[in-house]
Amino acid sequence: MVGNIVDAAKFIGAGLSMIGALGAGIGIGLSVQGALEGMARNPDTYGTLLTNMILGIAFSEAIAIYCLVVAFLMLFVL
Amino acid sequence: MEQTQTHKRRYGVNRWFILAFVLGSIFLAILSSLGMQALVPVRPHLQVAAENLSEKPWFTLPVIGDFYPTNTLVGIILVDLVILLIASAVRSVTRDGGLVPKGIAGAMEALLEVVYNLTESAAGKWASAIFPWFISILLLVIVANLVKLVPIFETFGYLHQAAEGHPIQLLGGNWYVLLPGNTPADEGYQIVPFFRGPSTDLNFTVSLAIISVLMTQIIGFRAQGARYLYKFFNVINIFKKPFFGFMDFLVGLLELISELAKILSFSFRLFGVMFSGVVLTALVSTMVPVFVPSLILMFEVFMAAIQAFVFGMLTMVFMAQATQGHAAEEHE
Repeated sequence: MVGNIVDAAKFIGAGLSMIGALGAGIGIGLSVQGALEGMARNPDTYGTLLTNMILGIAFSEAIAIYCLVVAFLMLFVL
Repeated sequence: MEQTQTHKRRYGVNRWFILAFVLGSIFLAILSSLGMQALVPVRPHLQVAAENLSEKPWFTLPVIGDFYPTNTLVGIILVDLVILLIASAVRSVTRDGGLVPKGIAGAMEALLEVVYNLTESAAGKWASAIFPWFISILLLVIVANLVKLVPIFETFGYLHQAAEGHPIQLLGGNWYVLLPGNTPADEGYQIVPFFRGPSTDLNFTVSLAIISVLMTQIIGFRAQGARYLYKFFNVINIFKKPFFGFMDFLVGLLELISELAKILSFSFRLFGVMFSGVVLTALVSTMVPVFVPSLILMFEVFMAAIQAFVFGMLTMVFMAQATQGHAAEEHE
C-alpha cells in the first residue's frame, strides 16, 4: 500500500460525482416510458413523439454530462 | 433507370470495402499479437485544455494573458473550410437556376426546410429573424462535432518528452511511432496532436453559448422594446397587489441568474458530450482494438448530430420565448 493520498482522493471524488448520473438514468427511463405509451396508444404520432423523446433524453442526459465533466476535471485537471 | 443501376453497383462496391476493412483490422490485430509492437494502440495522454502547438505565445494582451496557437484552432480553421466548401458546392449547383436541386444542394434544401418549419411553428412571425441563428449554429456545431472522425485527428502530431511517456520507434525519415509500455521518468515521449475537434475545447462552446444568450436578449429588445426589461425587473404588479407583486419581482430577479446559468448549461452540455466521446473512444480502442471502436464511433456520430440539433433548437426556443414576453400579465 504505497501511493499518494491526493491521487486516491481524486479517484474517490470522481467516482462519487458520478452518483448524479442516477437521476439522469431515472429521467431518461421515465421519458422513454411516456413516449412509448403514447406511441402504443396512437401509432400515428410516432414521428413527432420520437423527435421530442430524443430531445428530452438529450436534456436529461445533460445532467449526467455535468457529473461527467466534474469527474473529468478531477481526473485530468486538478 | 440508369440512376438505379449506378446506385446498385456502388452499394456492391461499398460492401466489399467494409469486408476488406474488417478483415484488415483482424489481420493487423493478429500481426500485433505476434510481436509487431508498432501496431499496438497506445493509450493517449488525455488533457482537458487544448494543447499548445508552440512553446512561445503568439501575442500577449495586457489583462487577459498569453495567446498560444492551439490544436483546436487548427481544427476550427478546417471546420470553416468545410463549411465554405459546402456553401460553394451549393452555389455552383443553384447558379444555373434549375428548380430541382441535385446532390448536396438537395440535402441542404431538405435540412433548411425542416429547420425553417420548426422555427416557424415555434416563433411565428419572428421566424425570419431567428432562423439564421438556428441554422448557422446547427451547421457550425454539426461540422465541428463530426470533423474529429477524420482519422488523423488526435493521433498525428509532434513528439515531445514528457514525465510519463512511451518509447518510440523510427519509421524512416523523421517519422516515429509510439510504442506501448513505460520508460523511466523523463525519457519517454508523448504526442502533441496537430488536429483536435473544436468542440472538445471549452473556449469554443463557451463563446458559442455567449453569442446565443446575448443574441436572445437583443432579439427580445427588438421584439418588445424596453418592455423586455419587465422580464427581469417585474414592477407591473408591485403596487397593485403588494404581496404577489413583490413575489413577481423576486422571480424576475431569478430570471437574471437563469440567463447566466443558460451560458453554463449550453457550454458544458456540448463540451461534456464531445470530450467524453474522445475519452471513451481512446479507452475502448486501446482495450479492444478490433471492431468494437466502430460501434463507439457510430454512437459518436449519433451524439454529434443530436447535440448540434439540441444546441440550435434550444437557442431557437429561448429566442422565441424572448419575443413573446409577458403579454398576459399586461392585460390585467
